[in-house]
Amino acid sequence: MIEVSQTPPLNTVQDLGRFGYRRYGIGSAGAMDRLALAVGNCALGNASGAAGIEFQLFPVMLKFRVDTAIAITGADCAATLDSLPVPPFWVTPVAAGQTLRLEAPKTGARTYLCIAGGIDVPEILGSRSTQMRDGFGGLSGRQLQPGDILPTGSRPALRFRDSFGFGIEPPDSALPPNAHDWATDSDIVLRVIAAAEHDQFDSASIKAFRTTAWTITPQSNRMGYRLAGTSLKRSDPTEMRSQAIVQGVVQVPPSGQPIVQLADGNSAGGYPKLAYVIQADLWRLAQASPGRTLRFALVSLDDARRARAEQAAYLKDVSRMSGYCRSQVQA
Amino acid sequence: MSGRITILNQPRVTYCGDQGLLLEAAGDLELATQERIWALNEQVLEWGGVLDTQPGMNSLLVLLDPDANDVTECRDRLLRAWKEVRSTARKGKLLEVGVVYGGEGGCDLVDVARYHRVDPAEIVKLHANAEYTIFAPGVSPGFGYLFGLDRRLFIPRRDVPVMRKVGGVVSIAGAQAILGPPRKPDGADLGPTGWHVIGRVPDVPVAFDLARDPMSLVSLGDRIRFRVERIEK
Repeated sequence: MIEVSQTPPLNTVQDLGRFGYRRYGIGSAGAMDRLALAVGNCALGNASGAAGIEFQLFPVMLKFRVDTAIAITGADCAATLDSLPVPPFWVTPVAAGQTLRLEAPKTGARTYLCIAGGIDVPEILGSRSTQMRDGFGGLSGRQLQPGDILPTGSRPALRFRDSFGFGIEPPDSALPPNAHDWATDSDIVLRVIAAAEHDQFDSASIKAFRTTAWTITPQSNRMGYRLAGTSLKRSDPTEMRSQAIVQGVVQVPPSGQPIVQLADGNSAGGYPKLAYVIQADLWRLAQASPGRTLRFALVSLDDARRARAEQAAYLKDVSRMSGYCRSQVQA
Repeated sequence: MSGRITILNQPRVTYCGDQGLLLEAAGDLELATQERIWALNEQVLEWGGVLDTQPGMNSLLVLLDPDANDVTECRDRLLRAWKEVRSTARKGKLLEVGVVYGGEGGCDLVDVARYHRVDPAEIVKLHANAEYTIFAPGVSPGFGYLFGLDRRLFIPRRDVPVMRKVGGVVSIAGAQAILGPPRKPDGADLGPTGWHVIGRVPDVPVAFDLARDPMSLVSLGDRIRFRVERIEK
């Protein structure tokens, strides 16, 4: 069990998301940076769908009530375990009574805590993710509050080769930044696939989308990111019917400023769609905080497939390396 | 604001990035087409490697496991299946709700009337005279997107979303109508919308409840009638 001693709002229990309930209009929810959650679970030897905690606001203080092991992934939040620093992307044993503190990250936006056996809140409609907009899943369908007690799944104890634990290669070193002709070093490049209404936009808008920088505005959260930049226009704007939409879709409302729908986004909508961020790049967006600039690089379905394969290979490597650093204690 | 709706001459299937496919039917928004969409939806759910599906207004989203499918092959298969699928007409159950039009709960009624250059009472009459069919799931569990809006009530979505009260709201936009679910006990009072809110159902039933069997009060194909409780200034 974990006791939440201190937490601001907006921190929730998440797994890889809830699929199969769109017929009710229920979107996926799930971790914004699914790669960070997956790599933490991999390193611990958890099932890939084990639930962890997504931290968006800080400072956070957690107290462990059992001897267990944790992985801290995602944004570097200067974590300390009983005042001893824990590096980012690190797996470590913890003892009952120890306190973990997380501070606001200097770069990146979201930190993840995975724990051996996973956070064991009830599975609702096939997932433990918190469905904030509908008020179910996670811990009682809500964000964490000070005083909450989180149950953890039972798992055989882990034995560590080194009592300080071990590091995991972070995704931004394993998966190098994407190429873009106009990007500067501070831009985050996202690979996109053209969407159904892409060709309805005028040529100046299409060019601006592909070449110019897009700033993430403060109106950006788990529902979606609103971007600021050149105003995008369709050559012949018509009213659209409402359709089902997926996370990563770049929609352009009449204001001309794009919106990217994300984990808690609408499951349906009627704004024209310009592009989709490929699945393998959604984690990059999840770690981009307001004020950062984005560039979009148009790629093919084959490129997207290769990017997914690279990610799968990275996770496999982490699993293999982690296996050398810890072993399961036989009962 | 534009005054026209996108209508396709041919059905099309487009890629939703590397996550799946979107099939859009050709022609005007119609019940017969939607009945085929529902039938196609049932079929596709039987295919291997399908993670989820969701009907839209004369459209169908199919989320695919990219490792279990050749997406290009699925695209052709979906279009073929669409051309062959027959409608399975379903006479859904009828739900009738009483609406307080206008007033604070339907504060856009006056603007909608002004847009159409008619009296608010005329808007109410046209809205309440129609019978609506639940075509597709909405943005969250509720009463879905409704088909059946009188063509004379067509009004484009707003360019800039506004904040409106939530809970049993009756709204219109484009050629569509919606009935919002009740406000959650600890939920927000207001929510952003690009739709025009023309009324409110004070005793709107609970649309979705995890503890109930079935969880959803309504199914696709069910019908809704709006009864005029009163019109407020």
